[in-house]
Amino acid sequence: MENKEMNEMLIGEGVGFERIRRITGYLVGTLDRFNNAKRAEVSDRVKHGLSSCCSASEQHTA
Amino acid sequence: MVQQIIKRDGRKAPFELDKIAGAIFGAAQASGGQDYEMAAELAKLVEQALETELKDGTPTVEQVQDTVENVLIKNGHARTAKKYILYRNERTRVREMNTRLMKVYEDLTFQSSLENDVKRENANIDGDTAMGTMLKYGSEGAKQFYEMFILDPAHAKAHREGDIHIHDLDFLTLTTTCCQIDLLSLFDGGFSTGHGFLREPNDIRSYSALACIAIQSNQNDQHGGQSVPNFDYCMAPGVKKTYRKCFLRNLERALEIYRDVEDEDLESREIFDEVEATSGLQPILIGTNGFEDKLTEKLQESFDDATARKITAFCRRHAIKETRRTTYQAMEALVHNLNTMHSRAGAQIPFSSLNYGTDVSPEGRLVVECLLLATEAGLGNGETSIFPIHIFKVKEGVNFNEGDPNYDLFKLACRVSAKRLFPNFSFLDAPFNLKYYKEGHPETECAYMGCRTRVIGNVYDPTREIVNGRGNLSFTSINLPRIGIRSHGDVDWFFEDLDRKIDLVIDQLLARYRIQCSKRVRNYPFLMGEGIWMDSDKLGPDDTLEDVLGHGTLTVGFIGLAECLKALIGKHHGESDEAQNLGLEIIGHMRARMDEAAKKYKLNFSVIATPAEGLSGRFVKIDREKYGVIEGVTDRDYYTNSFHIPVYFPISAFEKLGREAPYHELTNGGHISYIELDGDPTQNLEAFEAVVRYMKEIGIGYGSINHPVDRDPVCGYTGIIGETCPRCGRKEGEGVPLSKLKKMGLYKNLNSTTIGYNGAAAEEADRRPNTLKIVKE
Repeated sequence: MENKEMNEMLIGEGVGFERIRRITGYLVGTLDRFNNAKRAEVSDRVKHGLSSCCSASEQHTA
Repeated sequence: MVQQIIKRDGRKAPFELDKIAGAIFGAAQASGGQDYEMAAELAKLVEQALETELKDGTPTVEQVQDTVENVLIKNGHARTAKKYILYRNERTRVREMNTRLMKVYEDLTFQSSLENDVKRENANIDGDTAMGTMLKYGSEGAKQFYEMFILDPAHAKAHREGDIHIHDLDFLTLTTTCCQIDLLSLFDGGFSTGHGFLREPNDIRSYSALACIAIQSNQNDQHGGQSVPNFDYCMAPGVKKTYRKCFLRNLERALEIYRDVEDEDLESREIFDEVEATSGLQPILIGTNGFEDKLTEKLQESFDDATARKITAFCRRHAIKETRRTTYQAMEALVHNLNTMHSRAGAQIPFSSLNYGTDVSPEGRLVVECLLLATEAGLGNGETSIFPIHIFKVKEGVNFNEGDPNYDLFKLACRVSAKRLFPNFSFLDAPFNLKYYKEGHPETECAYMGCRTRVIGNVYDPTREIVNGRGNLSFTSINLPRIGIRSHGDVDWFFEDLDRKIDLVIDQLLARYRIQCSKRVRNYPFLMGEGIWMDSDKLGPDDTLEDVLGHGTLTVGFIGLAECLKALIGKHHGESDEAQNLGLEIIGHMRARMDEAAKKYKLNFSVIATPAEGLSGRFVKIDREKYGVIEGVTDRDYYTNSFHIPVYFPISAFEKLGREAPYHELTNGGHISYIELDGDPTQNLEAFEAVVRYMKEIGIGYGSINHPVDRDPVCGYTGIIGETCPRCGRKEGEGVPLSKLKKMGLYKNLNSTTIGYNGAAAEEADRRPNTLKIVKE
């Protein structure tokens, strides 16, 4: 019984995920090191699709 | 009679008529006056006016000064009054700055970087450490000192009010930005770090260790980053030396086994030296050059034919294996070192960039393969390494197409970048890079500092348009959106005002250049003392830098082309061809002006697409206060980076790159484009490679692909993590049952500073690194 409880010990409570992003060409440790303006920019970033692309892309994905 | 005045801090002090007379006389002198008697009379009038106004009250300093202004104007001393007002404003500004500086120091002291944006101005400086805070004290104090006493008031005003931004202002009188280090010439004969002498390295492990030390030492002499422009070429001799050493060591082992007891005089070293001396050859990693045949012949003097051949084959087989292992360890150590070794009093690790990918020698190829594999593997707990910045140089005929000698390295670079965000890719075939390229001369291959700086053209010495030993001296950015706002749609006025700002920046860069030139070699024990910078080896310790600094670049930058276009014509260059054309005209104009200045001053004036980390929020904050919230211009907390299409604007990757590419040609001081890729690119390497190939085709100079790299420090998973970790299933902040982690094969890393159970999960344990077999094991 006691042994079982030991095994159910939880690891990592309160530990966040690390999120690494490119800042201006280089990387930084994690997002929490960014200044306020750069944080705002990162949260605004949208993904750039590859599907809506022109013939050029088809040429190159082939 | 006025007896006393109330000072600004509330204390009372005696009222002294002489002081007022002195201040008036000072103002009069500034406008050409010389009559002290007149000043004394005016001071008396001031006293009378104060008595009339205040009866028996005690005046404040401000009231006294107001009265001085009134008296001067009333009595027809308008010019003196003007000078007095200027003087008074200046004093007020200085006083406010002192107060502000103390406030900044207070915040630096008592706030953590979580609360204090100043401490996070540069994400790579840890503002929470003792040394990081000390650096910030120095930096903030220096900025203020220069603003008050060194800078031309016109430049200081333009910087303060946000028309321009003088980058690295805290280093204004101290040093230059960055440098491209040629390690080969540095290693030749050994070098001194300023704290101790190091011999010429003799194997790949010391080559890589010394590379780190060189980067670290140079970083302490400059305020920007350090780049190695030809990393593979620089490390290749180390691999060659290592292979030779391994070969000799294995000959020793083989002889130990095969020689007879009575032959104990048969020395491996003697045999090896003799074969090298008589044949003029050395053992080589790949292929044959005849050395091994000569060795076998020599061994046949002491052994039968079969044994002689066996010994040679043994040496070769094991030397290859050991060289490969040693090279990998050296590159692994390099990545670890560059992520841990301190610079600048421990607040930062060196800002390092490595360019590579074009050396087709087996040794150079092995270096690049090992460096990429070590980067793919990650740091101690599998973390993505932040440094060095890797730049893979893409070149047709070398590594771009199937059949090119380094095509396998290009594929590997794509695979590693898809997992670790590095390498970035530079394109030597872009016309503006290709024009410098001379085959067989790696120093003519354009290189980039990690953030984007580019230094290759050279009007100061057109016979030396190479990358080695050169870098940026300083750069200053122009606030384009503000000119856009102020032009109210009048494009002619826009260009007139842009020209005024460019004139100002040229003037400011030159003033800074003159200060930099007055510094001496001894101020830079490594950069100049060890001859890293071009031609500094010709100078003595007390010589000034004026003959050599001209090889560097003086650069004007810009931010927010998108917001500028929005303000000017209502659309940015991602959404309208008209805006794109105007954008190209604006940046093209800046480039033409810089070319003109370069010709006029014989100095390397250039245009950079400013990296803008600290600057991203500064201009827009000031502009919003001045001009209010303008949609698409000042309504966000940042201005869009350089010529980029705004990050919030939906656009396909290929169209974004196509619209940004022409700006690369114009920004000869540096540029980068990146796109945000959706999903996990390691699962779609074809798409990843297609983007890189497209960049090359449309004339991008330097580019990279962004994708989320998340990591769960508890189970060590690296990849995309949404709300829950795909490996251990926990949400952010949640705990995972120990039994579950154990079942997944995770172990507790004793050295780990993170709380959790780290390391490779069972699913990764069996996965062998997918090597290229440059050399067979």
